[in-house]
Amino acid sequence: MIWKKQGYNICFAVIVLILALMPLFLSVGMISSSSFVLFIGKCMAYAIVAIGLDLIWGYTGILSLGHGLYFALGGYAMAMFLKLQATNGQITSFMQTGGMTELPLVWKPFLSTPLAMVLTIAVPAVLAGVIGYFIFRNRIKGVYFSIISQALTWAAYSLFTGLQSYTGGNVGITEITSIVGSIKGDANRAHMFTLFYASLAILVLIYMLSYYLTHKKFGKLLIAIRDGENRTYFSGYCVSRYKNFIYVLSAIFAAIAGAIFVNFNGSITPTQMTISYSITMVIWVAVGGRGTLVGAVIGAFLINLCDYSFSSGTMVEIWQYILGAIFVVTILFFKGGLVGIVRDQLPELTRKLKHKREAN
Amino acid sequence: MKIWKKATAMLLTGAIAVGCLAGCGSSSSGEDESVKVGILYSATGSMAISEGAVRDAEVLAIQEINEAGGVLGKQIEYVEEDGASEPSTFATKAEKLIDQDKVKTVFGCWTSASRKAVKPVFEEYGNLLWYPVQYEGMESSSNIVYTGAAPNQQIVPAIEYLVEQGYKKFFLLGSDYVFPRTANMIINAQCEALGVEVVGEEYAQMDQTDFGSIISKIEAAAPDVIINTLNGTGNVSFFKQMDEKNYSADDYMTMSFSIAEEEVATIGADILKDHMVSWNYYMTTDTPENEAFVKAYQDAYGSDRVTSDPAEAAYDAVYLWKAAVEKANSFEPADVISAIEEGGITFDAPEGTVELNADNHHLVKPVRIGVIDENGAINAVEETDPVEPDPYLTTYDWAVAANIQPIED
Repeated sequence: MIWKKQGYNICFAVIVLILALMPLFLSVGMISSSSFVLFIGKCMAYAIVAIGLDLIWGYTGILSLGHGLYFALGGYAMAMFLKLQATNGQITSFMQTGGMTELPLVWKPFLSTPLAMVLTIAVPAVLAGVIGYFIFRNRIKGVYFSIISQALTWAAYSLFTGLQSYTGGNVGITEITSIVGSIKGDANRAHMFTLFYASLAILVLIYMLSYYLTHKKFGKLLIAIRDGENRTYFSGYCVSRYKNFIYVLSAIFAAIAGAIFVNFNGSITPTQMTISYSITMVIWVAVGGRGTLVGAVIGAFLINLCDYSFSSGTMVEIWQYILGAIFVVTILFFKGGLVGIVRDQLPELTRKLKHKREAN
Repeated sequence: MKIWKKATAMLLTGAIAVGCLAGCGSSSSGEDESVKVGILYSATGSMAISEGAVRDAEVLAIQEINEAGGVLGKQIEYVEEDGASEPSTFATKAEKLIDQDKVKTVFGCWTSASRKAVKPVFEEYGNLLWYPVQYEGMESSSNIVYTGAAPNQQIVPAIEYLVEQGYKKFFLLGSDYVFPRTANMIINAQCEALGVEVVGEEYAQMDQTDFGSIISKIEAAAPDVIINTLNGTGNVSFFKQMDEKNYSADDYMTMSFSIAEEEVATIGADILKDHMVSWNYYMTTDTPENEAFVKAYQDAYGSDRVTSDPAEAAYDAVYLWKAAVEKANSFEPADVISAIEEGGITFDAPEGTVELNADNHHLVKPVRIGVIDENGAINAVEETDPVEPDPYLTTYDWAVAANIQPIED
């Protein structure tokens, strides 16, 4: 019976175990290259943002189509810090092209390591807090919320591409090494594994925190908000405050994910802030399975691994259609995603088959 | 709950299988007879059409070389990856090609954003990228070969030509990204040195479709010529809206840096008739090599296809790599880079003989000012001798005086 109670956690533990053994796989040659491990590092960042999205969408019923904004804000903050490390606090070439001679004021806080780390989380958190405060207090929900989240992301994207001398425009911030130094190639494996395990630890912590929250009374309240917002109001709960809290938390997760992503990726571009990128994140959660946490993690890994593998030859174009079809089929027939298929549809199917056999 | 267990196991097995597929899927065979190179462009996303033409030219060159016996006796085998019009994906895929597929070199990238995203990857792995598109300059990596024009092989001569032709009032119009911003920084400095006036400078969003307010600003500024660095869909909207106001080249001449044969076909030759462009190569360029190139390209991909400057530069890239490999007598990127830096790598390209500059990894190439005719062909009206590449514009006194060289970072 442990499976029924702890199925999700065991599933997550197995994923973590596989991830933790990656370095071993690499050294025995089961994985041919360290760049694949780097890619898995990026997938862990995607999994973190997916957990955040699952909290607000799967549990609370808030569909944000603009979480790329918080992902990118966290990413940019980390990239600004790392860029200044690379240039020793001097101005960057895109600032010089923009006619600047000294570091702009918004960049100055990123000279200090602790301040930069705080800002990486604080900027998206405060922004999400302010946006959430107005949106949820005015009881904007459903599709209206989704549209607003898209519009905000679009506005931020235009701002970031427009302010070229501050943000690097559509090139973004490039040529940065990770927080532990260069992670590319066989010579820097030690650095890469440090970063890899640190990120894995953060993923585990975030999963545990989310699991804890969703399995307390707080989690039941989130589900109550999702399934009957007015009833929750009438029961005397200040729904907007709960919604705002979980929205800010998911924005913080997205920011942390963005910061990890930049370390593995070595650059951040405004593409991470686009609407289509944000929608891709939602697809991970939907395909993996909403409202289960582990589903979001599975979805993020699975879709990105497919993206990574199906990228040459004719599969390139076909994969886009397949992904679209998977999303549509999931939404229409398998609301629980992959996890839902395993949890509900398969047992149902076997039960039916058994019945048939017995009837015969 | 046995079923639960079984199903979860299945799911996990599936996940691991996909992982292994990704990790070990590309274990190669036949290392001895062939040499692997990477091709990295966008097959999906907004850049797919432009980048597809360049990719086709490179595949054509690889096939030609293979038919002629390969390089150092080995056939070239190409591994293609999709950058999906997204710089981070370009970086991921570049790393995959180098580290996992173990390619000896990569031909790829179109946008400056994607090039800048992959540059550190090539530098850290010591591999070599062949970048085939004209760009804003201010870069020279020893792990990149730039086969398109540097600014002094496209922009600077075009402005000189316009001033010689008596144009005095320039209006700068561009999309809001790094190429137009940098190009206009150069043009402003050059115009000041040449004593001509820049009467306006405007930037459109990358996907802007309404140019009403920009056109009225142009009307108010009354320039002789518009220096156009718009890219992509912006060009279509801008020229169509100028045409709707019945403005032709007689009213407002334009000099464009991102309109080649492909874009002329999209926008329409009737609208672009008599407007000027600046490139190193046109489909009409009269050399025997070009005749063969155009014929081979159309035979391979259809008679409606056009060749353009970026496609030609991409075609040259493959042959220049072959020449460098043969000079080095090795496929290893480090040896090929040393061979390039010894100098003397040349290729009889469709645009004329090009030489790889040993110091800055750009090509010595001729500049051609072209005028678009009513059939959509671009005909050169001015052709220079091959120009030495100078990505930082250090040999131009006005550029040095204006301090436009970037800082090292």
